[in-house]
Amino acid sequence: MIIRAKFFKKGYLRYISHLDLMRLFHRTFNKAKIPIGYSEGFNPHPKFSIANPLALGIESDEEYIDIELDNMEVEDFIEKMNLVLPKDVQIIEGKSIEKGETIDSLISWAHYEIEFELKENIEGFGENLMKWLQRDEINIDKIRRKKKKEIKRVENIRPLIGNLTVKEIHEKNVVLNTLLKAGSNGNLKPMDLVEAMNRDMELKIDLQSMDIRRTGQYAEKDNNIFKPL
Amino acid sequence: MINIKTLDKILKKVEKPARYIGMEQNSIEKDISNAKVKFAFSFPDIYDVGMSHLGLHILYNLINNEKDYVCERVFAPWTDMEEEMRKENLPLFTLESKEEVKNFDFLGFTLQYEMSYTNILNILDLSDIPLRAKDRGDNAPLVIAGGPCAYNPEPLAEFIDFFVIGEGEEITLEILKLYEKHKAENWSKDRFLEDIATMEGIYVPKFYQVVYNEDNTIKERKVLNSTAPEKIKKRMVKDLNTMFSPESMVVPYIETVHDRVIMEIFRGCTRGCRFCQAGMIYRPVREKSVDRLVELAENLVENTGYENVSLSSLSSCDYSELHLLIEKLMENFEEKKVGVSLPSLRLDSFIVDILQEIEKVRKSGLTFAPEAGSQRLRDVINKGVTEEDLVNTVTRIFREGWSTVKLYFMIGLPTETDEDVLGIRDLAYKVKDIFFETPKEQRKGNLKITASASCFVPKPFTPFQWLGQDSIEEFYRKAYLVKNNIKDNKIKFTFHDPKLSYLEAIISRGDRKISELILKAWEMGCKFDGWSEHFKYDTWIEVMEELGIDGDFYALRNRDLEENLPWDFIDPGVSKEYLKREYNKSLGEKITDDCRISCNACGIVDCTMRGYKF
Repeated sequence: MIIRAKFFKKGYLRYISHLDLMRLFHRTFNKAKIPIGYSEGFNPHPKFSIANPLALGIESDEEYIDIELDNMEVEDFIEKMNLVLPKDVQIIEGKSIEKGETIDSLISWAHYEIEFELKENIEGFGENLMKWLQRDEINIDKIRRKKKKEIKRVENIRPLIGNLTVKEIHEKNVVLNTLLKAGSNGNLKPMDLVEAMNRDMELKIDLQSMDIRRTGQYAEKDNNIFKPL
Repeated sequence: MINIKTLDKILKKVEKPARYIGMEQNSIEKDISNAKVKFAFSFPDIYDVGMSHLGLHILYNLINNEKDYVCERVFAPWTDMEEEMRKENLPLFTLESKEEVKNFDFLGFTLQYEMSYTNILNILDLSDIPLRAKDRGDNAPLVIAGGPCAYNPEPLAEFIDFFVIGEGEEITLEILKLYEKHKAENWSKDRFLEDIATMEGIYVPKFYQVVYNEDNTIKERKVLNSTAPEKIKKRMVKDLNTMFSPESMVVPYIETVHDRVIMEIFRGCTRGCRFCQAGMIYRPVREKSVDRLVELAENLVENTGYENVSLSSLSSCDYSELHLLIEKLMENFEEKKVGVSLPSLRLDSFIVDILQEIEKVRKSGLTFAPEAGSQRLRDVINKGVTEEDLVNTVTRIFREGWSTVKLYFMIGLPTETDEDVLGIRDLAYKVKDIFFETPKEQRKGNLKITASASCFVPKPFTPFQWLGQDSIEEFYRKAYLVKNNIKDNKIKFTFHDPKLSYLEAIISRGDRKISELILKAWEMGCKFDGWSEHFKYDTWIEVMEELGIDGDFYALRNRDLEENLPWDFIDPGVSKEYLKREYNKSLGEKITDDCRISCNACGIVDCTMRGYKF
């Protein structure tokens, strides 16, 4: 069977990497005695995948994981896992799903809350932001390392921004909500978005003070977006 | 508690922030405000290295098992973290409570490597604790240290309030209990030190004075306080089965040096290699029983979720019931997909059967340590392996499908000639020939031989403690003699930095004057000296010149057998007479039997090996 589960990653555990998180889950399966499936072959590895790797330092309310295992009650699975998992990574819900599209290929949008401080008060931030979004093109440089060479490519990120709104502004403190493309058919990191904004709108954002939180992840079919659980 | 907001800000900027967050599985968070004794345990290197150290897991669990005591961890922050912390004025904190280190009752360092001593000073400084013991008043934490390098405590005498000599499982709680008692009465650091100085295994440097001769050798040691003993006896646990052994380990989030259960199977070693300090100071051999180990392994795997158990000791193949132990572990673990590994292999051919048993699937590389290139030199150092052992073992492992072999050697060993040094090349070529003599249908993969040489550092409490080290130039000459004579792309030869080994030799056989050297070097920016990218050799040399310290005096000089050595006041169990005997035998190229074959009267009391026959 396959269990698809939703979990959060917050607090200090936002500072563990995607690979660390994979190892944490692997050991948790062992410790919680979850009858997880293993791949065949020379170097068997447990069958599970976590969608849309979260960058170091970002909290998330909604992460998704698919796990292949021998039969087990979903409730039982969640209870056993949560006993072993640290308090800042806990499974919120889960269900048994049919074998089909993997969680990794399903996720195509991610919602973020971004909080930062401006170095100085800026008049009309909201209007400026809307104007900025009306551009056809917002280009950023993407640098890809191939062996020792750096290959620079210009990418238009405007189509990757689903929406972007101001949640609140309090003096220099700004909170934004945004829906960004995620997954293999276009992916925009929230950090890249803020950097482009900072550059084009001359905002002087204190990038070190930025707090990013992923608040949701969505699949898309026939122009409908929906939660994968 | 430190300012968490500042910490958060910093964590976003540094590499591997998970080094500084704690909260790992099996880490223990207690309410420190209610603790009667708060102990900060420090491994003076980065988290990734320190978390692989077994002693940390032992003492951490030992102390935290006591209801009223708290043990929390602190490591050396990596340089990027240190920079941010200094910029933001964030003091060093423990991983569990994020509490300032200076608010603890104890700060205990484990001394595993001399080249981490500058990190100790850096940790004190980042904690805002005065570096010198005499500058710390009644309210500062007691700064203590133990571990193998504490057998020559003198280079750190200036900074440490007291040293713990020997094994920590029993004495640690005795220390904390005595402290608790003193704290409940009328606390004075001096009274406490006077009291603890009477405890076996404790060395309080400030109760002693060293008088030097004009030639800088030691004239005498004076005891300044009537409670302090003249000789400090090491502490040793008698029975490892009833001794505290952790049933759980903190499991790091980030990948560390050893991502596995480390299970100690015995302590001590019977081989008597003459270069090996651990083989001398951890005597006598004491084993844990098979039943106890099976029980421990099961609990450790259960509590950590790890998939590999490493059987740790100084020479794991020497465990008397190794076959039985492995058989039982494999039987228990087969279903759980848990593997067993042996970290230190000898060139005994019986080991191939065991390797086959435990490495059913993966044929990873194998590491052997012949230590010296010629039989003559192996006899000098009493490394009881022969070329025949190597040939037999290697022949078998190639037939079984292994193809990657690492060979560890030392250069600069006593009496070494160029012929001995070139023996390293000859052995590597021999291994290569054996591979290609293996029938084609039996061998697998591409042959890869790595021969690596470290530069010999004579250590206290070994039969070579009186000997001068090779000079840096001589090390380079010998290393290149081997390197330039290996012309085969299947064989790679690497060697350790002779400059680093020279400094290690100075500090490891240093006296109290070396405290100033370490302090000054740290002031000049030395830290993480064991990391090649941070090692500042030129700075160390400059500081020595400035202080008028002659490095060669400590590293290169041959000592007279009757000279007073800086560490002579420590009693490691092994007698000086035995070390002298071994020294003389080594020069005569005479080997000494394994203690399991015959007793060599090393001076250890209550040794169970005496009269033991295979």
